[in-house]
Amino acid sequence: MALEMAGPGATSTGMLPTLGTRSGGGGAHSRVGRRKGPLDDIYFSQLIPSLLIVILGIITIWSASLSIPEANFASHLAGVAIGLVAAVVVWRYDYRVLANMTTALFVLACVLMVLPRIPGLGVEGGLGMVGWVRIGPLRFQPSEPGKIVTIFLMAAACAQYNGKIETFRDYAKLCGTLLVPLLLILSLDLGTGLVIFFIGAAIIICSGAPRSWVLATIALIVLVAAFVIIESQIEGIPHILQEYQLKRLIVFINPDVDPTDDGYNLRQAMIAVGSGGLFGKGFGNASQALSGFVPEAQTDFVFSLFAEQFGFVGSIVLLALFAWMIFSTIILAMRTESIFSRLLLVGCVAMWTFQVLENVGMCLGIMPITGIPLPFVSYGSSSMVVQLVSVGLAQSVWRHRQKAA
Amino acid sequence: MDLSLIIIAVCGVVAVALVIVFIIFGRSEANFTFDIGGASPRASGGSDSSPEKTTSSRLVGLLVMVGATFSALLARLWSMQLVSSEEYLEQAESNRTSTVYTQAPRGRILDRNGREIVGNRSSLTVVASSDLLDDEVEMHLLANLVGMPLQAVRRKIQDTTEGQQSLRTVSVDVSRRVVAFIGEHPEIFPGVDVQERTQRSYPHGSLAAHIVGYTGTVTAEQLEASKNAREGDVVYRSGDIVGQTGIELEYESVLQGVRGEQTVFVDANGRVLDYSTNIEPQSGSDLVLTIDMDIQRAAEESLERVMSELRETGYSATGGCVVAVDCTNGEVIALASAPTFSPSVFTGGISTADWEALQDEGAHYPMMNRVIAGQYPSGSVIKPLTSFAALDYGIATPSSSWNCSGWWTWDGNPNSLPVMKCWWETGHGPMNLSDGITFSCDVVFYEIGKGFWNSDNPEGMQETFRRYGLGETTGIDLPGEAAGRIPDAEWKLNYFRELGYSEEDATWKGGDNANISIGQGDMLVTAIQMVCAYCSIANKGPVWRPHLMKGVRAKLGEGFVSEYRCETIRDVEEDETYRDVIATGMEGVIYREDPTQASHWTNLDIPVRGKTGTAEQPGGDPIGWFIAYAPADNPKYVVGGNMDRVLQGASSAMYVVRDVFGAIYGQPDTSTETTSIAD
Repeated sequence: MALEMAGPGATSTGMLPTLGTRSGGGGAHSRVGRRKGPLDDIYFSQLIPSLLIVILGIITIWSASLSIPEANFASHLAGVAIGLVAAVVVWRYDYRVLANMTTALFVLACVLMVLPRIPGLGVEGGLGMVGWVRIGPLRFQPSEPGKIVTIFLMAAACAQYNGKIETFRDYAKLCGTLLVPLLLILSLDLGTGLVIFFIGAAIIICSGAPRSWVLATIALIVLVAAFVIIESQIEGIPHILQEYQLKRLIVFINPDVDPTDDGYNLRQAMIAVGSGGLFGKGFGNASQALSGFVPEAQTDFVFSLFAEQFGFVGSIVLLALFAWMIFSTIILAMRTESIFSRLLLVGCVAMWTFQVLENVGMCLGIMPITGIPLPFVSYGSSSMVVQLVSVGLAQSVWRHRQKAA
Repeated sequence: MDLSLIIIAVCGVVAVALVIVFIIFGRSEANFTFDIGGASPRASGGSDSSPEKTTSSRLVGLLVMVGATFSALLARLWSMQLVSSEEYLEQAESNRTSTVYTQAPRGRILDRNGREIVGNRSSLTVVASSDLLDDEVEMHLLANLVGMPLQAVRRKIQDTTEGQQSLRTVSVDVSRRVVAFIGEHPEIFPGVDVQERTQRSYPHGSLAAHIVGYTGTVTAEQLEASKNAREGDVVYRSGDIVGQTGIELEYESVLQGVRGEQTVFVDANGRVLDYSTNIEPQSGSDLVLTIDMDIQRAAEESLERVMSELRETGYSATGGCVVAVDCTNGEVIALASAPTFSPSVFTGGISTADWEALQDEGAHYPMMNRVIAGQYPSGSVIKPLTSFAALDYGIATPSSSWNCSGWWTWDGNPNSLPVMKCWWETGHGPMNLSDGITFSCDVVFYEIGKGFWNSDNPEGMQETFRRYGLGETTGIDLPGEAAGRIPDAEWKLNYFRELGYSEEDATWKGGDNANISIGQGDMLVTAIQMVCAYCSIANKGPVWRPHLMKGVRAKLGEGFVSEYRCETIRDVEEDETYRDVIATGMEGVIYREDPTQASHWTNLDIPVRGKTGTAEQPGGDPIGWFIAYAPADNPKYVVGGNMDRVLQGASSAMYVVRDVFGAIYGQPDTSTETTSIAD
């Protein structure tokens, strides 16, 4: 095994220490305490790309609002405004007080995940409305703030071990902490469940869980997933996954398993992306996404709408902005001393990365079809507010960095 | 869905994940043995397991994962938006555009005086979108409104022959009441529309049915053929109405208009968002025929009348035809075939029962145009041509004479076999050639046939017949013309050997010569061929190609945009003195052969020459022929026809020909005498 791994292992070990040490705290120290101005509390290399993405999103939703009645441009702008205000509040707020409130966070996470199931609160509607809650005139997805709560919960829980999980009991406890809200949402909304899973997994792994345990856990998950999929195909026993759910998961491999519904949607979404070409069809000229061929072009398939209008060049810009934002967040995490802060950022990174991968990958036909919004772009205030709050969170980590030292 | 595929995919994903995880974690717990970077170890010994180091290295791992994610997305984007962009663009285009077709009215078909034989009428048609199939209630309402059973409405809407996207025709020729109701209640009938379409109309019923033919929905073969059409030709779409027979088929490209094509941009629900290119429908051009409607009608009525009279006297008279040609240019003035059919049964699709009735043998094939496709033995109408052959090849001279005793054998010995009879069994007595024509004396022509057998040109008769165009099509502008058959030694040998006859039976014999000299035996001709041969006799040589199209009328005004170019198809040279012999004989047929026969012609103040004919047929009564031209001295019209399963030509086809001349010259036949003569 060691011999086999020598090649790639050598490359990574050759460069990682250098990179690791440079960012491992020295960089943060060198900046800390330099000039003290109002702008100094803003981490621009993360803020600028995220705001640019928000602007691209506003343009995209504007085009969607021209022909998709469900996409209300004003409502989108309101979502952005609320999100920005919330982000500023979070930025000013010293999040570190939450580090010791694991129990409260756990309860909150569970409550949020369970809300849509409470009779009278859950919104009865089509498949697109799964996981929604109505309180008075307000309709929102509690699982969206649930993501942030989960990030805090897992970061707080893992930070207790100070970057090194020594006993298996601790590891199992952390996994169990994640498992409860995860299972609560997974059966209701597979997409959000996957996001929660990746957030939690990233935080546990980055908090220093031993390699062998993690590998064993992954193997276990794979076995369970394989069992669920196989079980759902055996005739005559109650299925864990319904046929339509199973189809959604595999339709991207072979669109013909469901040529009229999801397979059709997927094919149309891919036609939208592919027909965009190098420069796209131009603003408002998306004959696929804006003429009803692509469903949910303002939310789940929003990347199709974007890529059809702005082409390869536009898509590169969008993905580059995401990459810029995510990489600078990881670099911020590397420079951050506090384990809790670090794990918070890891959670945010995991959330953004997985949502981008899933939303874009779905439109490109390389990921299963799930209803996950594209951060900062998709129409929908719950998602927009939560994503902007996560940006505010990252900014807050930067703002409170001195005290972390 | 393929279970193993999923398992393989899952395993693949797991393997990749494990490898990545191993690489990342491998670093954190590895010792410096992995570090072959060349630099000396930085950490001063001990295991690399400090908490900070672990989390930092895992952040690097996170960085790698994120980088891999974006690289994968980028690679996929590259392949979709740059490499395969064209294909996707094509699919997007076909998604968003849709073409709506509007049928152009076909051109009308007019007679030579511009009177309409085939026209168009507008027909209010209820059409429905295929979505209606999902709405049982609406279908029920619609069925009640148009007065059709629900099942029939459903079948009509399911019918995709007019194209997958097109609206489906539910009911044609609906009443104004239905139209008004649908118009006033659009909320009850979404997806239902009333369209004004044009349909073929036949203001004179079945008049000239065999000439104009009928139209029908384009067949699969026609669709296929039109795909390889030349530039500028109409490429048919499924559901198009095209000519299927007759003039409708022959001049399809003239009559067929250019359908309108409106390309529209649609959304996923088929709603029209915007309009793109538009081609206005162009109606087809009006076609003017050489037919004179009055003469045509007289010809058809006469055929019908004579046939029904013959049926009353016990003959089956299963079919007949007559054609009148202007021998100076080949224009067909009238062309009728009986029994006939009504082309209007084909508009909007013919029912199976109607179609089977038209194909039925008991109905005597009403769809067949007997003028061009009915092949019969010619009988005695061949005799003028046989006479020309005898004179040309020196078998006989204008002054040759024979004695008819009513019977004939090859060697003149009454005891030898076979004994062939003249139709006038008591014998005509002494006969010269023109008498032979006038009295249709078979013995004269048996002798000629025998003369050819014994001469240096044993096939001189066949050669002469071919010079007059028998055995080949005339090239009239109608589809389905038959070529007939001029038998000779070679043909007989091949034909009968193939049927399994012995060499002896298949050999050409003297009796065959005697048979074809009077138009019997294996000879087959069509009426149009014989009429064209008589055109040559009338014209003293030239024959113009018979045709029905006079020209294509201009869209505006009365002029023609293109006219039929008349052309001669042959010019048969004969000696003037020979022509006089034949002319004398044919004039005698009209005025000398029989007084009852002459009575039908003396009431016409135009001199006429002609010839009767009666050909024996297997399986029943003979076929009667009559062909004549007038005026005798300066011929203008050649009219000829035949009638199947009758007593003889003089009492059947001759009446019809006389009636056609009566219509041409405005002098109807007032004689009521029944021609008693047999040939």
